[in-house]
Amino acid sequence: MPWTGPMHTVVIDAINVTQSFGHTHALSGVSVRISRGEAVAMMGTSGSGKTTLLHCLAGITQPTSGTVRLAPPIGAAASLPVVTVSDLGDGERSRLRRERFGFVFQQGLLLPELTAVENAALPLMVAGISRTAAQQHAAHWLAALGLGGLEDRRIGQLSGGQAQRVAIARAQVNAPDVVFADEPTGALDSTTSDEVMTVLLDSTIDRGGALVVVTHDEAVAARCHRVLRLCDGRLVGGPHA
Amino acid sequence: MRTPTLPLDAPPRPAAGSRWGLPLLLVAHLSRPRPGGSGSRAVLILPLVAFAAATALTLTVLAGVIMFLGWEGHELDIYPTVAGLAGAILVIPLLSLGAAAARLSAHRRDDRLATLRLLGATSGTVSAMTVMESAMIAFGGALLGTLLYGVGLPLVGLLSFGGAPIGAAALMLSPLVIVGVVAGMTALAALSAVLSVRRVVISPLGVRMRRDAPPLRRWHFVVAGAVILLAVGALQVMQAGTSLLVMRVTFIGGFAAGIGVLNLLGPLVIAAIARSQVKRVKTPERLIALRQVLESPAATWRQVGGVAVTCFVAVVAGSGLGLISQVPNGDLDEPSRVLFSDMSTGIVLTIAMSFLMVACSVGVGQAAAVYDRADLYRSLHLLGMPDLMVSRARRRAVLAPLRWTVIVSVLVAGVLVFPLVGLAVVLAPLSVLTIALSLVGGVGFVWLGVWATEPIVRAVVGAAE
Ligand SMILES: Nc1ncnc2c1ncn2[C@@H]1O[C@H](COP(=O)(O)OP(=O)(O)O)[C@@H](O)[C@H]1O
Ligand SMILES: [Mg+2]
Repeated sequence: MPWTGPMHTVVIDAINVTQSFGHTHALSGVSVRISRGEAVAMMGTSGSGKTTLLHCLAGITQPTSGTVRLAPPIGAAASLPVVTVSDLGDGERSRLRRERFGFVFQQGLLLPELTAVENAALPLMVAGISRTAAQQHAAHWLAALGLGGLEDRRIGQLSGGQAQRVAIARAQVNAPDVVFADEPTGALDSTTSDEVMTVLLDSTIDRGGALVVVTHDEAVAARCHRVLRLCDGRLVGGPHA
Repeated sequence: MRTPTLPLDAPPRPAAGSRWGLPLLLVAHLSRPRPGGSGSRAVLILPLVAFAAATALTLTVLAGVIMFLGWEGHELDIYPTVAGLAGAILVIPLLSLGAAAARLSAHRRDDRLATLRLLGATSGTVSAMTVMESAMIAFGGALLGTLLYGVGLPLVGLLSFGGAPIGAAALMLSPLVIVGVVAGMTALAALSAVLSVRRVVISPLGVRMRRDAPPLRRWHFVVAGAVILLAVGALQVMQAGTSLLVMRVTFIGGFAAGIGVLNLLGPLVIAAIARSQVKRVKTPERLIALRQVLESPAATWRQVGGVAVTCFVAVVAGSGLGLISQVPNGDLDEPSRVLFSDMSTGIVLTIAMSFLMVACSVGVGQAAAVYDRADLYRSLHLLGMPDLMVSRARRRAVLAPLRWTVIVSVLVAGVLVFPLVGLAVVLAPLSVLTIALSLVGGVGFVWLGVWATEPIVRAVVGAAE
C-alpha cells in the first residue's frame, strides 16, 4: 500500500465502498484513491451517486460496506496511524471533518448574521483558537481570495460569487488535508463560476491540499488533474480510480 | 409491455363564475401534507399549536379577570381593579403570542405560493388563499385551545383566592365570550395575513419582502422623550388633586403611554447591550447569539419584551405588599390578611402567566426558525460543528436578551421606587425572595420553550445522513 511515494502521497484510500438506502444501491463497490496536491473532479448524471460518494469519503455517512482510510496529517509524527474513517463513531467523524476536511456547498450556507470574516474564522474558533487570532488569520485568507476590504460586510451584502469565496476561505482557514466541494459553482453564472473555481483550485493546491469537486461543468472538470465518472453508483472505466 | 396512456382529455375546469372556488381548491390541495416534507407539515402544525396556546391562555386569563370583576362587596372593592390591572399587563405578552402565531401562519409557505404563481394563479388568488388558509388554521387552533382551556379548568380551579380554592365552576366562561375569543383569533390571523401579503411581492420567482424592517429613527427618541415629559407633568397635576375620573383617565393613559415608550426603547436597549458585547465575546456560540440579536433587535424584543411590564409591576407591588404584610399579625383583621395573601398569589400568578406566554411564543418562533434555517444547520453539522454549540447559540440568542429585559426592568423599578424596595429587602426578605424566585422560574419556563424545539433541530440535522 503506497501511502508515501516520490510524486504522490495518498491521503484518502477508499476500497470497495458500497452504500445502499433500502433497495436503492447508491454506490456499488467503488474504490478511489486521492493524493495530496491533487484536484479530482467527480462527474455523472443526477442520481449517479456523486454526493453519496463524497459523503462517504468525507466521513459524513458510514458506507454500508467497504473501508475509507485517511493518512495522518502531513508533518505528524511518523508513528501516527492511518485512521479507518468508516469505522469511526459519529462524534469522531464530526471531529475529523472539523479538523482535517474543508467543505464548500452549492449555496454558500454561511451564517447570514455573521460578517464575512467571522464566518471564515468560525472553524478556527470552534477548534478553540482565540477570536483575535482566528479573525486575523481569516482576514488574511479573505484578502488572498480577493475579498480585502469586505471583512466586515454581512453575507447579505455580498454577491453570490463573493459569498462563495467566503465559503472557500472558511474551508481553507484550518489548512485541511482535503477540501470537498459539491457543485460549488452550480448557482453561479459562467464568468463568476470560472473565477470562483480558479480561487478554489489555486487555494487548495497551492498549499498542498487535495480537492474533490462534484461538477456538471466539463470546463471545471478539465481544470482538474483527474475526472472520476460515476454511472448508477459505479465508476465508469473500472472499479479502481 | 404496456404503453402508458397519456391523459389526453381536457383537464377539469373550475365552475364558471366561481370566484372563491379556485382559492378554496388550492387551500385544500396545499393543506395536504406532502410526503417526505416534515417542514411542510410544520407549516400547518406550528401555527395550529401557537393559536391553540394563545387561545387557551387568553380564555384562562379572561376567566380569571371576569371572575374577579364579579367579586364586589369587599370594603376596598380592590379585587376588580387589581384583576383588571393584571389582565392589562398580560395583554401585551398575549398579543405578541397571538401575533407570533399569525405571523407564523402567513409565513413559511413561500415556496408553495411561488409555485402556484408559476402555475399561473394570479397574485389576487394567491393572496386570498393565504388569508383564507391563515384564518382556517387560526380557527382550528382556537377550537383546540378552547378544549385545552376546558381541560385545564379543574387545575386552575385549585388556586386559592379569598381563603378557599376558587373551583372550576367559577372559571366557566359564557359561550358568548368563548365564541368571541375564537372569532377574534381568526380575525387576528386573517388581518395579519392581509398585512403580510401586502408586505411581500409574490412573484413567480419567489416571495420576497418588499423592504427590510424599518430602521429605528431619531423621532422614536423624540416621541419617547415627549411621552415621558407628559407623564411627569400628569403626575404633578394629579398630586395637585383632581377628580377621580381625571385620575383614572390619566392612569390608563399613562399606562398605555408607558407601554408605547417601552416598545420604542426596548429594541434600542437590547441592541445597545448586544452591540457593547459583540466585539468582546470569545466563544462561537456567544458570537452567533449576539449577532442574531443584532440582526433584528425588534424581533427579539417582540419575543421577550412581554415580560418587561410584568417584572416592573412585580417589583413595585411585591415590595409594597411585602412591607404591608410586616404589620404585626394582631393588627390585621382576617379579611385583610386574606386580601394580602391573595395579592401575593396574584403577583406570582401574573408573573407565571406572562412568562408562560413568552415561553410559548419563543417555542413557536424557534421552531419556525429551525425549519427556516434547516439547510444551514445541516451544513454546520457537516462541517463538524458540534451540535451542542448550535444548541447553545440558539438558546443564548433568546435567553440573553430575556435576562437583560428582566434585569433592566427590575433595576428601573428598583430605582423608581427605591425607598420601597430597599425597605422591603431589609424588612420583608421572604416576599422579595418569592418575587425573585418567580422571575428565575419564569426564565426557566422560557428555557424549556427553547429546549422543546431541540428534537426539531436533531430531526433536521439527522436528515443530512
Ligand atoms: N438519504 C438517502 N435516502 C435514500 N436514497 C438516497 C439518499 N441519498 C441518496 N439517495 C439515492 O441514491 C442515489 C444517488 O444519490 P446522490 O449521491 O445524491 O446522486 P448525485 O449527487 O449524483 O445526484 C439516488 O438514487 C438517490 O435517490
Ligand atoms: Mg448531488
